[in-house]
Amino acid sequence: MAYPFQLGFQDATSPIMEELLHFHDHTLMIVFLISSLVLYIISLMLTTKLTHTSTMDAQEVETIWTILPAIILILIALPSLRILYMMDEINSPSLTVKTMGHQWYWSYEYTDSEDLSFDSYMIPTQELKPGELRLLEVDNRVVLPMEVTIRVLISSEDVLHSWAVPSLGLKTDAIPGRLNQTTLMGTRPGLYYGQCSEICGSNHSFMPIVLELVPLAYFEKWSASML
Amino acid sequence: MAAAPEPGEPAKGKTFKLLGILDVENIPCARDSVLYGSLGSAVAGLGHFLLTSRIRRSCDVGVGGFILVTLGCWFHCRYNYAKLRIQERMAREGIKNKILYESTHLDPQRKPANGNGGSGVTSSTENPATTH
Repeated sequence: MAYPFQLGFQDATSPIMEELLHFHDHTLMIVFLISSLVLYIISLMLTTKLTHTSTMDAQEVETIWTILPAIILILIALPSLRILYMMDEINSPSLTVKTMGHQWYWSYEYTDSEDLSFDSYMIPTQELKPGELRLLEVDNRVVLPMEVTIRVLISSEDVLHSWAVPSLGLKTDAIPGRLNQTTLMGTRPGLYYGQCSEICGSNHSFMPIVLELVPLAYFEKWSASML
Repeated sequence: MAAAPEPGEPAKGKTFKLLGILDVENIPCARDSVLYGSLGSAVAGLGHFLLTSRIRRSCDVGVGGFILVTLGCWFHCRYNYAKLRIQERMAREGIKNKILYESTHLDPQRKPANGNGGSGVTSSTENPATTH
């Protein structure tokens, strides 16, 4: 989950999120250098007496400041497109989970082998136990096996919602009448929090998502106990 | 679930960021790149000034040197870091597969059995870790 006053990304829990973090570092370094250059040029402008009011052409500098930004954009675009296509790969998922958005809770269905479905409501602040996270805890978490490719099908029963888990790099819109698919692969066990990411009414901020990634054996025990 | 930070622990949100955006403490290769860039900037700017005695132009050369050296170190370091991550991932997968599939027909070190109807038990050889 995020810590207070956090500005950066959460630690990555999936390979895609690791790639996104690295891409962000790469782009941020380029942004930092361009910002340094611009700050330097601004400081130069403040202290120069040089003026040239009859400039007719400046072919050389115009060539440089056309080609250089183009190169910079290509350096940013190539890794970006690589990750974009990587996010669309389907790597033979072993499990399918359906997620339906409602006002204002999520419901989950594991229907691969047995008919298991449950709703996931936020725990109100007054009912939290000590140590639990305000506006993030739910009554029924989404328990999933770790290191397994999972297909998540996302839709909505009423208005637009969005199913988002930042540490896994997931955000997919839940659109009524449409089935969106995303692929999830958690690399470490733990609890991963997310919140609805599309305005959906008065309680839009109060329908969180909690994934509980566990070893496969625990997942099998859990699914047997839920039936 | 995440525990609240203890009173003695430093707040996690207080990392130092260059220009308020670049977290040099936590981004791999950032600190080294910026330090090498600063060194390159100082060398280039100072060298140019010593050769030409032109202050403004030397400052321009210094800034240009900073950008070029930082970028060069950054790409070089990130390329090596990416290769290292791939090797780590392959090693992790190899260890996992070795543990999971040892003594089964899926054992990655298992040689295919000869066609004489033998028991199929083969001797395992050392797995040469071929990293380049």
